Amino acid sequence: MGRSYFVDEAVEEYLVGIQTAPGSCVTGLLAGQSSPQRDFVVLAVQTPHRESEGQPKASRGVSPLDDIDVEWVTEHAKQVSRMLPGGLCILGLFLVTPPELSKDAQNALKRLIFAMDKYITKGRLWELSEEDVTDQVTLHICSKTKKTVCKTFDVKDPKSSAKPADWKYQTGVSSSWPMLSCSVAVDVQIPMTGSSSDITDKCMKDGLRRWAKQIEAACCLINGRHALDDSELVSGQKKNPKTTHRQTLPARIFVSDEQAELDERSSALVQLCSGSVKVRGVVHCRAYIHNNKPKARHAAQAIKRDIINTVCSRVEMFLEDLLINEGSHKGLCSGQQALPRRVFAPVPVSGLSVCDYMFPDESTADVAERLKEMLDCKTPEEDIDTSLEGNQLFSNVCGSEITESPSDDSSKHVFSEVQTENPKNQKAPQYYAGVAITAAVALLATATSLLYFNE
Amino acid sequence: TVCDFIFRLKGILEFACQLDNPNGVQSQSTISKSFQDLRSKVTSKNIVFTVCNSPVLIWPNTGFQSSVESLTEASACGDILQWIESDDGGSKKSSKKKDKKKSGPTVVNMKLLFEVTEPAGNTAPSLIRVSTQQHCVKMPLPLDCALSVTTDERLETVCTGLVEALNKQLADMEEVVLQYRKGSSFLVPQPFHFQLPEPAGLITVVYPAGVPDSQLQAVREDLHRKFELPCDRPYLRRANAFHFPDAAYKDGYLRNPHIHLNPPNIEDAKLYLVQGVYSYHHYMQDHVDDNGWGCAYRSLQTICSWFQQQGYVETAVPTHTQIQQALVDVGDKEPRFVGSRQWIGSIEVQAVLNQLLGVTSKIMFVSQGSELATKGRELANHFQTEGTPVMIGGGVLAHTILGVVWSENTGQIRFLILDPHYTGGEDLQTITDKGWCGWKGPEFWDQNAYYNLCLPQRPKSI
Repeated sequence: MGRSYFVDEAVEEYLVGIQTAPGSCVTGLLAGQSSPQRDFVVLAVQTPHRESEGQPKASRGVSPLDDIDVEWVTEHAKQVSRMLPGGLCILGLFLVTPPELSKDAQNALKRLIFAMDKYITKGRLWELSEEDVTDQVTLHICSKTKKTVCKTFDVKDPKSSAKPADWKYQTGVSSSWPMLSCSVAVDVQIPMTGSSSDITDKCMKDGLRRWAKQIEAACCLINGRHALDDSELVSGQKKNPKTTHRQTLPARIFVSDEQAELDERSSALVQLCSGSVKVRGVVHCRAYIHNNKPKARHAAQAIKRDIINTVCSRVEMFLEDLLINEGSHKGLCSGQQALPRRVFAPVPVSGLSVCDYMFPDESTADVAERLKEMLDCKTPEEDIDTSLEGNQLFSNVCGSEITESPSDDSSKHVFSEVQTENPKNQKAPQYYAGVAITAAVALLATATSLLYFNE
Repeated sequence: TVCDFIFRLKGILEFACQLDNPNGVQSQSTISKSFQDLRSKVTSKNIVFTVCNSPVLIWPNTGFQSSVESLTEASACGDILQWIESDDGGSKKSSKKKDKKKSGPTVVNMKLLFEVTEPAGNTAPSLIRVSTQQHCVKMPLPLDCALSVTTDERLETVCTGLVEALNKQLADMEEVVLQYRKGSSFLVPQPFHFQLPEPAGLITVVYPAGVPDSQLQAVREDLHRKFELPCDRPYLRRANAFHFPDAAYKDGYLRNPHIHLNPPNIEDAKLYLVQGVYSYHHYMQDHVDDNGWGCAYRSLQTICSWFQQQGYVETAVPTHTQIQQALVDVGDKEPRFVGSRQWIGSIEVQAVLNQLLGVTSKIMFVSQGSELATKGRELANHFQTEGTPVMIGGGVLAHTILGVVWSENTGQIRFLILDPHYTGGEDLQTITDKGWCGWKGPEFWDQNAYYNLCLPQRPKSI
């Protein structure tokens, strides 16, 4: 008995509408939510075209399948997974091929799916639970007949073979999914025991992981009720395909400073540090939960993971940006620096929110561009909600006093030197961190310590 | 006043501070500032009490709000019980009463948590980096506050009281941390609860972890003065800490099985019982098969457990081997005694108590079992002044006497006996039903055998 995928009709439309050059393949991502009984697919995005720096790569292999840029597919998947709110994640991949390549498509998909899962889950600060579904779906589409073959792989089992799965289209799969939301105050003090960027990375990872464990263990109220044991999430609304009203359920999170390994000590833990980093501010979080008798604790898990992911993602992005622009020798400087803030935008038709992160000197135009490039989504700028997280009211000043008041003229000069280049400046090989594709390409080009949170 | 409830609030608060120079003059004020921040945290609107095994959450600093509509400021604290799921699963009202006697106040356990949602502002996060070399100190503070209250006390008052208790405990912890700090070495301040005679009642004292009781003598002397406690017996050693009625003993031994028995109803007689807490030691425990020869050893173990739990000694209850070795060490037995199955008597018990625990004992001799009935006064006095369990050995058997019911006028007497010959498991029902702990009349003793009694004396210390 295989898994059942309930797929929104909008996804069907998208897949059918994909244009492929004759003889070539198109890859893409499938996103949605898995539950123990069934899976829901609400979004499909084809892999964007990679802008290469110089000559187009010569065809490597005999077949276009060999030309699939695995690195690029997985990088796209990682970027997209950062844009999905809680409860939604990458569920798998699709591959459109001409009829003659259909029989080799399965192998290609298998390679891709394992590589993608490995890349996306690296550096994640929370652990999978026993109830989490570890199957990923691969969908092969024949470009001529539009026939689909759907199979799943258990990506946590390297020996897993393809299992057949059901692929069913439905209208409004997510139209009645409740959305949990909350704003969370974050205040994490992380001691730094060295100054090189490797050590900074490790310290940040350890510090944030401790905080993530507190969030995972936290008590959670959803819509005023404890999210405990096996109780169902009572959203108070019967599933009705006619209603398009989506309920928003407020979540409240309560933490304790308990840390099992520390509590048995009889003395304080003292570390000699070369300094410390504090992550402080408020993050806005969202999570969706399907409405097929969901359990309250799964909803709680979804919002908690979103809280952890959003802090982790923006710190990662900040450090990646630093790496690209200043090289690994510089590392973090003293003072206060704004992390990119989270903005939300609706996906057309389903109305589900996706998110993006705006650096202080970016605008909604940049966000709209990224949404188009990464999610193949045309979102009008006025629909991008930037009000949920407040702008940090200070300039990124390095080496100065920690202050929240606007800086004076002299430090503005320092500010502009350290900041990234103006996007209109076409000087290569610097890439403006805001433009996702070029940044992503630059990331791939930077060989060492590319992967933040490297094991 | 009998208190019906004890509200116990536990939680961990992390103490953190950064010291530029741990030995410098600034460090004390930095530490105090961190404690001040923690005190602000517990008086802030973000703290929440969650009642264990229930869906109840209470925000004590927001004019009393709870997650359950029916619990309001006006609610009596007893109302909270209907929301708590008892541990034996099933009925909401705890019907698991110990058969014969009241089991003491009901404990309501609560946990301290902090809300991280509903923040005051919404400014997106920043990274703030400090590049000066510092000593980063982190220490989890094990907060533990307890309040004894009556049923009709308002829940709101209880919660306000707990917040005050948290504040006071943090202040006490600050004092202990500062007093015992050496440079960047900090000792964790640990709270202990003690049930003192009225009017003091249930109090909490913070002691530094790792500092043995022997080094805290001066602290205890101060407290004995403050609470007007007798100066010759311990009340405030860590071992004297209040044992909450709902907590199980980790070592698995039964404590004071005798409290589940009703004393015999003898006209004109008074009850004289062992004071404090002992553990029941008997045959076959600890994987030692001493059936048939170990009864005096077990009685001795019961006595040692009493001295340990009243706080007179920190040493663990000795094993058969350790008891035998002690007798060899004092020259009472040959080395081959160790590992043997030889009986011991009251004299040996006295010797071991002295050797291992530094405890002296009086020996009482009766030439015939029938004489024991005439020893009422001596035994009554013993339980009144010393209150320690008594080992009695005679002929081929040893027992422990835990108390007497004795009439000065009629001379009628009954003995509360704890029998070490029991070979079963720690089943309170069996032990009390079958008389392994039970009241016996004078006919219990072999009327013709002689008996020696070992009466341990309390050391005069706090």
